Amino acid sequence: MKDVRKRILALLLALAFVLGMAGCGSQSAEDTTENDTTVAETADEESTASEETADAVDPDAEIVLAGYRNLAPGEKDGYYCSKILYVWEPLVTQDDTGAPVPCLAESWEMSEDGKQWTFYLRQGVKFHDGSDFNADTVIANFDRMKMGVKSSSFYPLDIDSHYPNLENYEKVDDYTIRLTFSQPAPTQLYNMVNFGSAIYSPNCFDENGDFNGICIGTGPFRITENVLDEYVLLERFDEYWGETAKAKNIRVRVIPDADTRFSALKSGEIMGVIDLNAIPTSLAVELEGDGNFALTTTKSTMIRFLCLNGTQFPFNDVRMRQAVSLALQRSVITEDIYDGFGTPTTNILNYSTPFYKEFPVEEDMEKAKELAAEVLGDERVTVTYLYNGSEAAQKGEAELIASWLSEIGIDCELMPMEMTNMKEQMKTGDYGIARMQQGLSNSEPATIFRRFMLTSGDLNQNYSLGYQSDEVDALMAEAESALDMDVRTECYNRIQEISTQEFPVVPLFNDMTLMAYNTKLTGYEAKLYGIELPLVGWAE
Amino acid sequence: MKQYLIQKLISLLPVLFGVSLLAFVLGVITPGNPAELALSQGGYEPTPEQITEMEEQMGLDAPYPVQYLRWVGRALTGDLGTSYSTRNPVGEELARRIPVTLKLAACSITLTIILGIALGCTAAAWQGRLPDRIVGALTNTQLSLPAFWLALLLILLFAETLGWLPTSGNGGPRYMIMPALVLSSASTATAARLTRSALLEEFGKQYCTAAMARGISRWRLVLKNALPNAIVPVTAMLGNSLGGMLGGSIIVESIFALPGIGSYALSAVTNRDYPALQGYVLLTGLIYVLITLLVDTVSMLLNPKVRLGGKRI
Repeated sequence: MKDVRKRILALLLALAFVLGMAGCGSQSAEDTTENDTTVAETADEESTASEETADAVDPDAEIVLAGYRNLAPGEKDGYYCSKILYVWEPLVTQDDTGAPVPCLAESWEMSEDGKQWTFYLRQGVKFHDGSDFNADTVIANFDRMKMGVKSSSFYPLDIDSHYPNLENYEKVDDYTIRLTFSQPAPTQLYNMVNFGSAIYSPNCFDENGDFNGICIGTGPFRITENVLDEYVLLERFDEYWGETAKAKNIRVRVIPDADTRFSALKSGEIMGVIDLNAIPTSLAVELEGDGNFALTTTKSTMIRFLCLNGTQFPFNDVRMRQAVSLALQRSVITEDIYDGFGTPTTNILNYSTPFYKEFPVEEDMEKAKELAAEVLGDERVTVTYLYNGSEAAQKGEAELIASWLSEIGIDCELMPMEMTNMKEQMKTGDYGIARMQQGLSNSEPATIFRRFMLTSGDLNQNYSLGYQSDEVDALMAEAESALDMDVRTECYNRIQEISTQEFPVVPLFNDMTLMAYNTKLTGYEAKLYGIELPLVGWAE
Repeated sequence: MKQYLIQKLISLLPVLFGVSLLAFVLGVITPGNPAELALSQGGYEPTPEQITEMEEQMGLDAPYPVQYLRWVGRALTGDLGTSYSTRNPVGEELARRIPVTLKLAACSITLTIILGIALGCTAAAWQGRLPDRIVGALTNTQLSLPAFWLALLLILLFAETLGWLPTSGNGGPRYMIMPALVLSSASTATAARLTRSALLEEFGKQYCTAAMARGISRWRLVLKNALPNAIVPVTAMLGNSLGGMLGGSIIVESIFALPGIGSYALSAVTNRDYPALQGYVLLTGLIYVLITLLVDTVSMLLNPKVRLGGKRI
């Protein structure tokens, strides 16, 4: 009797389990939409594809990559998708050093007074819908920008920031356009790089300049399907004007969680991770030494630094700011906390622009103590140290920094905060030290200098930096009116030098962009902005 | 019956008012000027004139009660405002995402019902013996494992190491197994425990003793006699779990890359997207209230005591 009961129980439990699974199954089957089936199908394709690669490589098999966010946020985004998907192309792009190079504009010239720029457009370029690229389409894109600022999850599409002081834009002939500015604009090219001069087929705009469907660009890939928050499908555009892409189909998935993304990479479900925050350094270290995976790094446009409240004692004294910088051991921070993925710096300018000048990173605790003693005397001072509580690494970093600062007489009260609250508190001037970061929106460094170092600079004021230098104000004015690039570069060099001596902020390190991929792929190389997707393909 | 339902519906109104007030206050007390936040997404620095213009446009110059009434008025017509970060109407975005969350919750509640009740019956039938202890240990583990950790462990085992299941994504049944297991884990354990104790309570009653005395097999007793009586408190608990699953799948959705309303709420928090967050609070509040109503109705149908308001027959 007991045995029978046991058997029945076992059966029941098994049945319950099967039912449970089936319950899920039937439920999902009911809810299955068209998109879901595509996913399931491609999942099967994926597995067959990876099986095939063991024997012979199918160069046209779909390559699956993943990032943390929508790289194609869709119609409501000013750009529809990120530059790194290679769907749209700009007039001007940048090389590995950040210098402007031709893309859809083949060449250009500036008038002698610097107020007129003429762009000669590439001929024989086709949009994905088969229409021709020419001066009319470029003018249509300017008309669209003129309609007002369009927000985007990448950079705002704002004609005033990409084309400051633009007075007029006109078609000269079918493949020439001319821009006229009210002020000399010798560095205009830098403002136009990538997101600054994105070109779409006017057929994909509605009357408000919003996208009326999938965007139509000229790039080596076109979007065939875009399911928000799930994936975007890219297909090679065979009529591309340049060298066509290696991969036929690329699927870029959205996997928000870093650990899941890592597992998906390890299990072979995805072949690579892209975009910002592709992989945390702590997980990247795990991949080192595993022959199936490789890492690729490049300079990031992000710089990390400490803001010191220059409106109050003790950091209103330049010697105290110098003392803080001298007391830091930046390489310890980058090595021990960020696993070596960072480059120590004292320059306020990020290292990804061609205007960047390298300065030696000076660290000297004895000198720091002397300088601090000159300001503080025998007293010690207590300051609040604000940091971003949602970034785990910043806590350890703050503790390290606080231990060094305690040696020069500064006691830090560490305060983890939420970013917006932190900025509000900094605005009121109620803080001592705050850990911040800043990205470089284009290679033209004037923006950074203006925001941090001009007396009227918005971040100088909002972060209560209290920085003021007549020399910087004069240099910025000189640079702005200088037509000669060398004069401008000289001004910028001097400003950078001043930043390493007077510390409007105390820079810590420049970030590195870090991406990981399966070694079944080739051509996966991190670039200043993303990877060069057209070069990515299956390895032989 | 009708009267009972009407009473219930009326009693829900203050709750709904509370939820909407909470959702509105959320937008008011959070730091930062909404007009500035709306304009400054993506690193853009708006000018003071633009901010003032936006404030007027958003109606932020009106006193709070007026703003609240306007907001409720719009919410009633389905207009929950525009997301700061995506520029999409929040209502549309929630409508696009709710099917995923519903699918996940349906799978999870199915698992909870089947596994929870089966485990509970097993434990009760073998009270104090090995199966009971195994179920006890299992439910203890399920209750004490945090969902995010269990999720990572499952991914590590079934996706990364064994390669049986996909790590994440929205798709067919295979994509739902791990998320549903994780989301249902704690409620399965609670359901099992509740079923077990309710059954044991029934066992102590006279009808059970009598049935046992007549030599009815223990399983028959459990399934045919005791379970129908023991199920009422379990139903109530399951209803609450379902509400929890619909509103509490934030972590599970973001780990398994499921684009439901939970992952929307999480990205709203990171982007300080208050209209999105308000919409989420309002929607989940509404769902919870509706489910409570549903549960009350079901237990009324199952249990004559509730149906008759305690009146003796």
